[in-house]
Amino acid sequence: MTDRARLLGRVLPLVLVVALAAAWPLEAPSWLRLATPDAGAAVSMRTALDGLPEDPIVLVGFDPDIGTYAEIRPTVRGLLADLLARDTRLAFVSLTPEGRALAIAELARLRRGEANLARLVDLGFVPGAEAGLVDLARGLAPTTPDGALARTLADEGMAAVDGVAVIGGNDLGPRSWVEQVRPRVDEIPFVAVTPTILLPEVQPYVTGGQLAAVLATPRDGAAYRDGLDLGNLSRLAEERGPSTVPILLGLLAAIAVLGQALGARVLGKVRAARGRDPA
Amino acid sequence: MRRPTLTALVVLIGVLLLADLLVVNSVLGQAAGVAVDAAILVAAGAALAAVGALAVRRAGDLWRRRGDPVGAALVLIGMGAVLVAGLRPGADGPADPAVQWIVAALLIPIGATLFGLLFVTTLAAARRSLKTGGREAAILVGAAIVALILLLPLAGAGGAWLAAAGAWALDVPIGAVFRGLLIGVGLLTAVFAARTMLGIGAADD
Repeated sequence: MTDRARLLGRVLPLVLVVALAAAWPLEAPSWLRLATPDAGAAVSMRTALDGLPEDPIVLVGFDPDIGTYAEIRPTVRGLLADLLARDTRLAFVSLTPEGRALAIAELARLRRGEANLARLVDLGFVPGAEAGLVDLARGLAPTTPDGALARTLADEGMAAVDGVAVIGGNDLGPRSWVEQVRPRVDEIPFVAVTPTILLPEVQPYVTGGQLAAVLATPRDGAAYRDGLDLGNLSRLAEERGPSTVPILLGLLAAIAVLGQALGARVLGKVRAARGRDPA
Repeated sequence: MRRPTLTALVVLIGVLLLADLLVVNSVLGQAAGVAVDAAILVAAGAALAAVGALAVRRAGDLWRRRGDPVGAALVLIGMGAVLVAGLRPGADGPADPAVQWIVAALLIPIGATLFGLLFVTTLAAARRSLKTGGREAAILVGAAIVALILLLPLAGAGGAWLAAAGAWALDVPIGAVFRGLLIGVGLLTAVFAARTMLGIGAADD
């Protein structure tokens, strides 16, 4: 590697970070749109939530991981606000330590946002991963047994739950919930929000009907958030979603870097082939 | 060497859990519950043991000045900070404001930053693989470029076409491969479980 190439290799990532930071506050021009034009995932999510009964209880399996949470956070907060705007009662449970830490942070945020606390209950941390999920299907144990919601869940367990919303991450996601909980409970809808990295793993369960809806890409999440009507609970959602211009810049940078490397390799092969050509 | 007791235990618990899934019976359910509770306790104990082992290992690194002493010190300081914040007298455990501050102001941004670094390192790794790898590396990088183009957040007819093509790629080629992988993993898991339960193969040696 030449000195110039080495210098470029060190400077270009810094230039990219500065460019992304500079582009962050820019408004997206009309020819850019983060929300996907194919709003199928967002429509499926809304349809699944529309199908919940009156005054439903939704069990929120909150197990994102810290690394990918930034990607799904606006959608997760939009979903929680949407559920509360639909008069849903939410029961939070986590099966991973990172998920538990993030669930506590989100519950604290909902309290700061003056969400109706009578509609929230914390089921805490359940160790054991898949075994913990099996245990959940057998019974629910709120950390504080005060309040009508906590008592209902303690008495009736999963029979009181009208739907499950899985906030997935690298360690535990919708697949485990579908495999361990779904066969053990009544026919209730399972929906999920996951980072893109889980999409190929989760997509077969969506196609197969085991998951009623999944928001698994920032563009699906943006399409879902665009259609939200939260009323006065819009304070619980994020004011501003991800900025589209830096996302475009990052994608173009990645395409340029990979394209240059692939093009150089192809050119090298072509030149080598010509060099071997006896003509 | 054969261990019939272990095999019998695995068979017993496996059949018990399967039967509990298929048959509604309170006695069976309670027995399966005991097995599941035992598994949860073992998992929790293993997690605690792993954390303890990490602390002992890092303390040993620091004491004997081997490996990365700065990293070892940071791990121990981080563990200590969270433990003190959550377990000090009057603290509210993981819901304590001090623990929440450590999570929200330090862990989440640091974790997201480290994950963001993957952008640069993955690109660098892809370029290196093109230089040293074979035809497979070129196909992999070519597919990545196509996927990145399909993800461009464009509005209008062009954006709609890209989104439709991306959805097709996910549903047909990628979906088919992953569905096949999931079926393969499921079959292998079933075969491995059956071999273990019947005392065949390496798990019983």
